Amino acid sequence: MAIFSAKNVSKTYAHHKALDSVSIDVERGSVFGLLGPNGAGKTTLIRIINQITAPDEGEILFNGEKLNLSHVHNIGYLPEERGLYKKMKVGEQAIYLAELKGIKKAEAKKRLEYWFEKFDILSWWDRKVEELSKGMQQKVQFITTVLHEPELLIFDEPFSGFDPVNTNLLKAEILELKSKGATIIFSTHNMESVEEICDSIALLNRSKKILDGKVTEIKQRFKQNEFEIVIPKDYNIKDLLIEGSELINSEVYYQTQVSRLKIEHGKNADLLSNILKQTDIISYKEVLPSMNQIFIQTVSNE
Amino acid sequence: MNKISIIIKREYLTRIKKKSFLVMTFLGPILIASLWIIPFFLALNSETQSKVLVVDETIFEKGESKSSLYLNNFKNTEDLRFEYGYDINEAQIKLENGEYDAVLEIVNTNDMPPIKGFLFYSDNEPSLSAQQNIRNQLTEVLKNYVLTYDYGMNAKDLAWFNDPKIGFYSKDIRSGENSYKEIKTVLGTISGFLIYMFIFIFGAQVMKSVSEEKTNRIVEVLISSIKPIQLLMGKIIALALVGLTQFVLWVCLSGLLITGLQTIYPQKFSPVQKENITLNERVISVDKLDNFSNETEKVSQITQGLFSINYVLIIGMFLFYFMAGYFLYASLFGAVGALMDVDTDAQQFTLPITIPLILAMVCFPIILNNPSGNVAFWMSIIPLTAPMVMMMRIPFGVPIWEIALSMSLMIIFIAGAIWFAAKIYRTGILMYGKNITYKEIWKWFKYNN
Repeated sequence: MAIFSAKNVSKTYAHHKALDSVSIDVERGSVFGLLGPNGAGKTTLIRIINQITAPDEGEILFNGEKLNLSHVHNIGYLPEERGLYKKMKVGEQAIYLAELKGIKKAEAKKRLEYWFEKFDILSWWDRKVEELSKGMQQKVQFITTVLHEPELLIFDEPFSGFDPVNTNLLKAEILELKSKGATIIFSTHNMESVEEICDSIALLNRSKKILDGKVTEIKQRFKQNEFEIVIPKDYNIKDLLIEGSELINSEVYYQTQVSRLKIEHGKNADLLSNILKQTDIISYKEVLPSMNQIFIQTVSNE
Repeated sequence: MNKISIIIKREYLTRIKKKSFLVMTFLGPILIASLWIIPFFLALNSETQSKVLVVDETIFEKGESKSSLYLNNFKNTEDLRFEYGYDINEAQIKLENGEYDAVLEIVNTNDMPPIKGFLFYSDNEPSLSAQQNIRNQLTEVLKNYVLTYDYGMNAKDLAWFNDPKIGFYSKDIRSGENSYKEIKTVLGTISGFLIYMFIFIFGAQVMKSVSEEKTNRIVEVLISSIKPIQLLMGKIIALALVGLTQFVLWVCLSGLLITGLQTIYPQKFSPVQKENITLNERVISVDKLDNFSNETEKVSQITQGLFSINYVLIIGMFLFYFMAGYFLYASLFGAVGALMDVDTDAQQFTLPITIPLILAMVCFPIILNNPSGNVAFWMSIIPLTAPMVMMMRIPFGVPIWEIALSMSLMIIFIAGAIWFAAKIYRTGILMYGKNITYKEIWKWFKYNN
């Protein structure tokens, strides 16, 4: 069941159409990637979900209900442009933000202590934010986003500005939140992280949705029938090819020859048996396109 | 609603805890106390000699010739030179021409001895030493009279001589009403200026606070939890409370400081307090005069005159315009704050807001000079200048319909300003790195939410 769905949502700013009849469905308990080049309308859509702005047309459902202000408590949002009050103490500030999400002070304090301990920043509780390093601030921001245990979490470019250590920490936390049942929408340019953690994606370009679906399905849809084969280097792959297969590239690695082939549908078995007649196959696998390739290909074909 | 209170709490506490708040809280009373005390030192040492025309109406039959108790009986001093006349109308012309600085009218109340009904007319409040001097001389003359004519004194009369109470009123000689022009001017200026200061200081703080949240980038997190209008209103209300807190602290601390000074230096400040400081004191002195013998019409008129300044109205109006002016300008300042950004210059947008404020200040003398003139009328009706200008006019008396019109317009304008500010605010706070023009702001009105 979809925790969140947008149906034919449009939004126009003065003369610029930011969203043009966009529909998405986010499955409960999944990680949903909202992808697209700059200015595609991702932030506008995210702001609509957060009720920072309202759509001109279309319908937004949250848990099957029309999106309304009571849902604010079930949504956690980490914006791309993020910040904290610099002069305010870390602990005080985190409690304040939690209170705005409808959590009582005592409860907020309890939960914060758990998270601060987990991230090893408990000693920073009474420090002012301006004394913290950027990485520390990001940790605090992450905590304030998830503290009210929202059903739906929205991360806009969560990894931008994080160092590799913190990026990994954040990824692990996102997956942990998912395993606890949270649904996560996250918008990013970082295609590697999409492959790693997203279950489904929607690709926006110039205010329109141009692609969506499960990551595995999309990869299947975009596959080019390419395969990687490794054989001993004493044999030349060119001599072993049959009709319906062609060589894309080939390289020699130590004792092996690694080649990429394009093989017509249904010719796999014939090719493999032909090779096996003459030599061993060390490894053989299908090569699926990376999300990065799909992204670039789809956007530039537009 | 609950969320607004969370916002208010944070904004309020953050500001109250600031060092600058503490500094202002303690500096303010020192400034107020010094403003309070300096005039008394100046009043104690008036340097020029004033010409006083004594108009004596208590001419009585004594034997075959008419005589006056007071004629030629005042001694000239460094400060005061006395001359004598009989006709109050003539004296009026002479006072207006500037031939005399003051007129002392001794009203014939048909009392024996004639020790009540002294009226002192002057454009300016007589200096304290002059007042004391006149009091002493009047007492002296009366003492001589009593001794000479063996007037049977009762205990009450004796008490009066021990502590003579003579009221001094700056009266409009033409209408005969107490004009208290000076007091009214001071009241009008102080309340108008206080409102101006409050709007400027706290309005600018709203602006700063909004732009800080914007440049901090925390605002997007906040408005995913609450509506932008709640955030803005919470901020505005919190700052109003901060202002009121500071104001109340000032009043209390100033009171303490002044009382403290009077205790430490009683000889310097006590006589001042006893005889002059408050209007209440004056009422008391008139009351005592009343007790002295039967009431006469003229004296009771004086008592009424003291209440011609409607303090309840002034305080009520002050609170209204104080808050109304602040809410009007704070919303506008809030909107401008939302236009500010690190990279862009939004100073241009503060100008249209500060111009009417400054204009009201610049026009202070014009308005005080003619509180019911055209300039004063229009500026007290137009909501952008009304809070300051109306407060300057109110001590002088303003027709009810003008007050009602001004107040209604004020309320309509505040509602409009908040609506306008909310529209700009919610778009502005999310607009980064863009040079915003007036044309652009106009476009935002067409945005849906």
